[in-house]
Amino acid sequence: MATRKGLGIGSMYYGIGYGFSRADIGSAEIEMAEDGTTTVYSGACDMGQGVMTVVTQVAAEELGIEPDQIRVVAADTGSTPDAGPTSGSRATFVQGVAVQNAAQELRGQILDMASRMLECPKENLHVRRGEVCETGTDRPLVSVGKVAHQLHFHGRRAAAWGWHDNTTQDVDPETSQGDAYATYGWATQLAEVEVDTETGRIRLTKLVSATDAGKAINPVAVEGQIEGGATMGLGYALYEQHILENGVPRTASLAFYLVPTSMDVPDIECEIVEVPDPRGPFGAKGVAEPATIPTTPAILNAIYDAIGIRITETPITPERVFFAIQEARARGEFEED
Amino acid sequence: MSEDTSPETTGAYHWIGKNVTKPDALEKALGATEYVGDMVVPGMLHAKILWAGAPHGVIRNIDTKDAARVPGVAAVLTASDVPGTNRYGLAVPDQRALADDKVRSAGDALALVAAEDEEAAEEAVAKIKVDLEPLRPILTYEDALDPMAPAIHEGGNVFQHTTVRKGDLEKGIEESDVIVENAYHTHRMDHVPMEPEAGLAYVDPSGVLNILVGTQYPYRDRRQIAPALDLAMNKVRVIQAPIGGGFGRKDDITAEIHVGLLALKTRRPVRLVYTREESLIANTKRHPMAMNFRTGARKDGLLTFLDGDIYGDTGAGVSLGAYVIKKAGIHATGPYDVPNIRVDTYTLYTNNLVSGAMRGFGVMQAAVAHESQMDQLAHRLGMSPLEFRIKNCLKPGLASSTGQLMNEGCGIEATLQRIKDYMSAHDLRFNRPHA
Amino acid sequence: MRQRYALRVNGETRETEAEPHESLLDVLRENLRLTGSKKGCNEAECGSCTVLLNGRPVVSCLVLVPDAVGRDIVTIEALAGDGTPHPVQRQMVEQGGVQCGYCTPGMIMSAYALLQENPHPTDEEIRFAISGNICRCTGYGKIVKAVRAAAEEVGRAAS
Repeated sequence: MATRKGLGIGSMYYGIGYGFSRADIGSAEIEMAEDGTTTVYSGACDMGQGVMTVVTQVAAEELGIEPDQIRVVAADTGSTPDAGPTSGSRATFVQGVAVQNAAQELRGQILDMASRMLECPKENLHVRRGEVCETGTDRPLVSVGKVAHQLHFHGRRAAAWGWHDNTTQDVDPETSQGDAYATYGWATQLAEVEVDTETGRIRLTKLVSATDAGKAINPVAVEGQIEGGATMGLGYALYEQHILENGVPRTASLAFYLVPTSMDVPDIECEIVEVPDPRGPFGAKGVAEPATIPTTPAILNAIYDAIGIRITETPITPERVFFAIQEARARGEFEED
Repeated sequence: MSEDTSPETTGAYHWIGKNVTKPDALEKALGATEYVGDMVVPGMLHAKILWAGAPHGVIRNIDTKDAARVPGVAAVLTASDVPGTNRYGLAVPDQRALADDKVRSAGDALALVAAEDEEAAEEAVAKIKVDLEPLRPILTYEDALDPMAPAIHEGGNVFQHTTVRKGDLEKGIEESDVIVENAYHTHRMDHVPMEPEAGLAYVDPSGVLNILVGTQYPYRDRRQIAPALDLAMNKVRVIQAPIGGGFGRKDDITAEIHVGLLALKTRRPVRLVYTREESLIANTKRHPMAMNFRTGARKDGLLTFLDGDIYGDTGAGVSLGAYVIKKAGIHATGPYDVPNIRVDTYTLYTNNLVSGAMRGFGVMQAAVAHESQMDQLAHRLGMSPLEFRIKNCLKPGLASSTGQLMNEGCGIEATLQRIKDYMSAHDLRFNRPHA
Repeated sequence: MRQRYALRVNGETRETEAEPHESLLDVLRENLRLTGSKKGCNEAECGSCTVLLNGRPVVSCLVLVPDAVGRDIVTIEALAGDGTPHPVQRQMVEQGGVQCGYCTPGMIMSAYALLQENPHPTDEEIRFAISGNICRCTGYGKIVKAVRAAAEEVGRAAS
């Protein structure tokens, strides 16, 4: 088997959220019960990637309570406010700020009431680990639950609503000039491939993904997005193709439509880059799509680095590579071993 | 650590940056999470769909008489049974819940069945007779661009044309020492969410239509379901059920209107669960695109211009295609400072499967072109592909293809630098350009 | 024609009625309401329906009910039957091996079967053991890590 190795780079930028004057909003309501346990009514759909977890961490940080005291009720037109779709790598970036706003408002309510209860200026109080504490000494003075109980007792319900409007103006219709997106995601990947010059088969042997998360609110979840995104990018590059013949699907089965398996994916090395973005919650921005986009071009460029042949059509099937090598040979342009 | 030091300055957060365990993960690992296909409610009917299977044709007649006689069948519905607009679509309502006048893609739904069990529903679907007069399908970019070709929807097959213009293209071309020109083709991809599409609907005693669905946006579902079924919006409740993957696919309407309609008609709970085959045939895919790119650079390694055309096949419905393809155009430069730009994009209707949002949203395709161009320019200039990118990448104070000034949060150089550091730490080197 | 079958599922004998051509997966899910085993393709390609049959991982969508009679069937529901999650389940959660969760039960059954046979697998052996289970979210890395961590945990408990 004649194999050659090559390295390739793929970079990208990606407008986070919706752009084009489409409503790009987040909203959430947070309620603290009389025992201090808290419910976040968050309109954002969790796809398993972890936006519920992000919402929990943002609320816990701002409220000064433990994450296990928080329950998230998500994405139900009957019980949660509208938070826009979970798409466009926007959920953390937009909904994170909405939750932050709601939590800050609720924290204000708690400190106001605590200040009355304790007859102590609000400026001298903060919340930490579920206790209203004296600033400076961190001495716990009263639990948030007791304060929430007082708020409920006085008909205030210890609840706050927060929202965030990330909608941008559309670009100019003639030139597309303008501020298209509130912010952008950034990523670069390095791929190493092995090309079998006899069969045209490509193997991805290494993938390093440097993705700017702004601030990784939950690093394991960010890595999950990076690894999953690159795997979908690998599938796009090498395996997955939905073939239609005269408009009729010919690959409507997973026996023919090939999704990468654990044997196709190398250990993906995640390099989380953090360039804080002041528009996102705690500097964070989305990574789902930035982590997916660079993989295919990095593989294309690695193939060129390996065999000196530029593939311009995806997916990069063994047939396509095989025939490209044959044609290069016929032109006398293939670099033989 | 001093406790009253502001975390904003020290980064000493209590919970931000911590690996808090996902609240839904254990239940999933136990196998206890109920996705829609796992849910059973008393009196529930099972739904099946008759799909067009052919790309283009005039519907002369759909005969449901035999299907309705299958024992256990509660309803067999076609477009004429839909009380509302029967339309949906994320950019424009150009998709029919059930095809009425024409079939426009193989993934169009023609009829719905609800029955006591899946077998009866399947048997009924097989007994529906469709009289379809085939029309010549529009399948290629060339066909879609041909003004003489029959229009799939009113208004012609070019749904949208966008233009990016910046600087002076001719000047950019003149200043170039190297120019690279290529045609790129990307293919249709399926999201393959591990959970095929599913929905469960019931009308509650107060008359509200409740729909449980693995969706990415219940509020927009509600905005689309209500007019399609002629319901007041406050009589529709959409609840996100646990979702087995979406990746943009479940941004769109999937099972919502179909199960909603069946529940309204039968006044019983109805569950619809796609097979994998149905999931691969129906709903949206990633846009195939054809991209012709010409890019230039100077001897000193600075980019001079991009001159490009992008054609996107959005299939028989726009879905989010207009935004996907417009976004591809805006991102066609990649994360680089390109002073002179002409890019045109075309969103084209065809009789292929509908394409819509998928993770990467147009930039997936654009990056295939711009990154291949970048490497070829670097090689022509004898520069390392990495150094060439670092030299040209956007930095605070520079502007994107749309003239947007970069400021905080511009991280491309940091990601390139991280890869550069990785390569030197691991002693990795490109083979090309040859020294 | 519907027939009666006695299936030994998770240590209990369960009586059920089914057509002989029905799959074990459908009977588990519909008749016995054991819905932890998922239906991702129904054609033995995705592995979401993996259960153990006499200790071996099988895709239950491809097993006909009569062929499961007289064999020990173990489903995801049995792994934490005593209320304590199995180390593979707990590590999947802790290492970030769970995202949308749809492949997770099948994935865990394949990993569990591997650890029964081979308590100290290499990463390559783990990857091979789960290669019939498609995951669309994670890219597999964190799942491999979770299985490795579970193997270490089981090993420590045994020693």
